[in-house]
Amino acid sequence: MKIKIFTLVIVTILGLSAGVYFFRPHTFHGTVIQSPDLAHDFTLTSADGDVSLSDYRGKLVLIYFGYTFCPDICPATLANVGQALRDIGDSADDVQVIMISLDPERDTPEKLAQYMKHFHPSFIGVTGTPEQLAEVAALYGIYYQKTEGSVASGYLLDHTATLLVIDREGYLKLVFPFGVTVPEIADDLKYMLKQ
Amino acid sequence: MNKTFLYILYGVLAVIILSVFAFTVFQPIQVLPRMQLAPAFNLTAQTNTPLTSEDLRGGFTLYTITYTNCPAPCYNINEIMQEVQSRLDEVPLGGIPVNFVTISIDPDRDTPEVLNTYAQSIGADTSNWWFATTTNKSLLKTIIGSGFETYYEDKGDGAFAFDPSFVLVDGWGIVRSEYRYVTEVSNADRILRHLGVLAEEVHNSTGSTKLAYEAAHLFLCYAP
Repeated sequence: MKIKIFTLVIVTILGLSAGVYFFRPHTFHGTVIQSPDLAHDFTLTSADGDVSLSDYRGKLVLIYFGYTFCPDICPATLANVGQALRDIGDSADDVQVIMISLDPERDTPEKLAQYMKHFHPSFIGVTGTPEQLAEVAALYGIYYQKTEGSVASGYLLDHTATLLVIDREGYLKLVFPFGVTVPEIADDLKYMLKQ
Repeated sequence: MNKTFLYILYGVLAVIILSVFAFTVFQPIQVLPRMQLAPAFNLTAQTNTPLTSEDLRGGFTLYTITYTNCPAPCYNINEIMQEVQSRLDEVPLGGIPVNFVTISIDPDRDTPEVLNTYAQSIGADTSNWWFATTTNKSLLKTIIGSGFETYYEDKGDGAFAFDPSFVLVDGWGIVRSEYRYVTEVSNADRILRHLGVLAEEVHNSTGSTKLAYEAAHLFLCYAP
């Protein structure tokens, strides 16, 4: 009888542990935003014409603000995102990465297209007038400012380096801080793609 | 044996469902929703120096809007800011800084000098309270209108129509609460309580407890 009770207790504990493990909510590596409003739409220019956020409804959209002369942070982040997309395989077809340039003086649509292809063939780079970019950046919480660089690099831009994820319905869902790793990005994207 | 196994399975499922139900109903952990990203900005403060959204990262910030020619009591905006500021020691913040920012919607008249005089005239403690604006009116409209989702309009006769409101932003630049209507509990009391909730989350949401906090967000266990 004692053995039966002992077995029952052990099985119940194991079952509970398994239940908690399998039914636990996904723990996002980015910060989850629960906005009741759609992410701010924008229309900016790529090498292939105008691009609007709303064009990609039905896909996950990753938005990054950067510039092609960016010495370290932007290429590191874009390289990580590119690798994460390769790691998730075919489902990456349902993800669109858009880099919004904060440097309209130097980043032409053609230059952006060439730059973005280094990281992943599907990546898009867009730009606009300084006023358009200031507005879009403000609304996505991206601060940026020109700073002095070297003779070789020209001026630099200090900017917020977060990576934003818009869900399939067009809501801002996740904010990744700078430094997020490839497995972390891939893990959250895989989960969101299953939703 | 099969029957016993089924009973155990049902029992385990019932315990899990009851736990989720109890968590949602009793809300052992309360949080504030992560509503949206706060807008980024580069304003000029009453000290005639830049005040950027990046300067305020890492601490909690309470925003409001007004203009210095707003006829007193002007929705008691300054009084509420002052009350919250003076009662901060009631909240266990654990060293997290709290900043206050009043954005002027009248940049034509509210120059840094005017804002400075105004701050002094109302007896504001400017050690962590900034009065700021930008002459870029279009961007100002974007920041306040679309970013903070607060209505204001220049009536053209020196007066502005606007919705008095306060917006609480966390250290990551995420809007965590908005105070747009008069409620039974004063805005100052609610803001102070919410600052405590935010500080608690920052300090406790680490390691395995983080999962409980994320569950509180998932099950909408929001502090009133």
